[in-house]
Amino acid sequence: MTWLVWRQYRATAAISSVLLAALAAVILVDGFHIASRWHSILAVCAGSSGCLQQQPGLVNGVVSDLPYICLIVPVVLGMLWGAPLVASELEARTADFAWTQSVTRTRWVAVKAGWLLLAAVACGGAVSALATWWSGPINAQSATAFTPGQFDAQGIVPIGYAVFAMALGVTVGTVARRTLPAIAVVLGGFIALRLVIANLLRPHYLAAVTTYFNVAGTFTPSGQPWVLGQGAVSRTGQTVAAGWGDLEPALPAACQRLLLGAPTAKNGASMNAVFSCMQSHGWRGFVTYQPASRYWPFQGIETGIYVLLAAALIAVTFVVVRRRDA
Amino acid sequence: MSTAIETHELSKRYRRASALTDCTVTVPEGRVCALIGPNGAGKTTLLRILAGLARPTGGTALVLDGEPRQDPAFLADIGFLGQEIPLYRSFTAEDHVRVGAHLNPRWDAAQARTRLEGLRIPLDQSVGKLSGGQRAQVALALTLAKRPRLLLLDEPFAALDPLARRNFLAALTSAVTDAAGRLTVVLSSHLVTDLERVCDHLILLAASRVQLAGDIDTLLAEHRLARKVEDVALEDLILTYMDADGTPAGNLLTTAGEES
Repeated sequence: MTWLVWRQYRATAAISSVLLAALAAVILVDGFHIASRWHSILAVCAGSSGCLQQQPGLVNGVVSDLPYICLIVPVVLGMLWGAPLVASELEARTADFAWTQSVTRTRWVAVKAGWLLLAAVACGGAVSALATWWSGPINAQSATAFTPGQFDAQGIVPIGYAVFAMALGVTVGTVARRTLPAIAVVLGGFIALRLVIANLLRPHYLAAVTTYFNVAGTFTPSGQPWVLGQGAVSRTGQTVAAGWGDLEPALPAACQRLLLGAPTAKNGASMNAVFSCMQSHGWRGFVTYQPASRYWPFQGIETGIYVLLAAALIAVTFVVVRRRDA
Repeated sequence: MSTAIETHELSKRYRRASALTDCTVTVPEGRVCALIGPNGAGKTTLLRILAGLARPTGGTALVLDGEPRQDPAFLADIGFLGQEIPLYRSFTAEDHVRVGAHLNPRWDAAQARTRLEGLRIPLDQSVGKLSGGQRAQVALALTLAKRPRLLLLDEPFAALDPLARRNFLAALTSAVTDAAGRLTVVLSSHLVTDLERVCDHLILLAASRVQLAGDIDTLLAEHRLARKVEDVALEDLILTYMDADGTPAGNLLTTAGEES
């Protein structure tokens, strides 16, 4: 079986390797460039706190989108490799050939899907390793490794996405029996699920931490946290998000007058008066966040979710391939 | 004599139509059985059920003393050649021979290569570039190389010119002779004259039902007695039963198109 899989996919594998190598070359060249600039910034800033953040950003132009290019690799694998795995054999009738050799359909699909899932792990891992390395200085400068977008392109989650996208492609192709509709479903389904999980589920993997502080002061969680919300909260639980746009109607009348005396919110002296007024009425500042120490637990949970979904999809594929007519 | 195929009220219903209805037939081992009927009569469905590619919705099929199933030993005994000539178009014939060697226990690669070289079919060209007739020859060589005990051929002549057809039939006949009664063949076709040359058994399907089934000589003898005529050709016999069903007989002999 393995020989058949190799014969079927050797051209695909060669083309994909070349594309992956090209992507790697771009990332490596740009990554070394970023790293050298980062080292010179470190030399300039040696010892002085807050200096790093005041230096110019490390990325510019097209290459700033590199993590996003890496984000599309898994779904492309699922569309171009996963979807045709069974569907194209049914369309071209080659399933009639494959399924009347002395190999059960279970073994046929296990070996084919197994190798492609392994390839997905390898591609997802390679792309993630490059993106993680490339993002290192940027993470260090702006402390963003845990934030949406960055989190999705680094660490082990891209492997989970790649495995899931491949499994989704294989399963949809098997059920739909046609490659093109399957490709469309994989694209839509993968993007929809990624958005739902990243936006609705991920913030709640572990209960977020909320820290309260003097409303006139500031608080920054240590390391590279994922800040979910921040602002001020009254004694009765009324909140105002940072940015203060809707601050006025929420304030006690006494403080509102002070705020009106500060026509531009940037007037530091007047704002301090507003803050101390708020504090005297029981307002506190708050930051709700996932601490930096949860970066790897979150990577593990998210990867686990996608791998489990992939396993469920592959189980469906086995049942359908065994039962349905060729 | 043991039976190669025994079906009992075998049926296959699709959502809208019935492809096969209460099909009860027996084919003894070592026979070459013609499967005849107009387009859409259920020939392909019957062959695919026997090969384990489709599941019946009713009745039972015994193939080589067991139900068609996902089991390497059963699959090794079945040789199936579909009418669409299922081959990987980007593979060469040699690739297919090597794939077969990896996937089958009794694979005779040398025989397949010799056959194809004898027919002057290039082994190193992707089969997508071969002519339809050459592709059919490659597929037959592969099916025979598997050394099956039951050979199921669905419209194998469809893509062949008369000369290629004769080669094909010669190959089939020699394979049956070589197997010395251990190889059973079922082949469907519209071309009664070709079938007459190689077949000794007959299943006639029309409108998803069996109209006639049995040993050809016996059927002809019975027909002669019933009609009190001296000589009856197989074609006359078949046309009689197609007419009896109200099926336009012309269909059988003139249409050589695809069947779904």
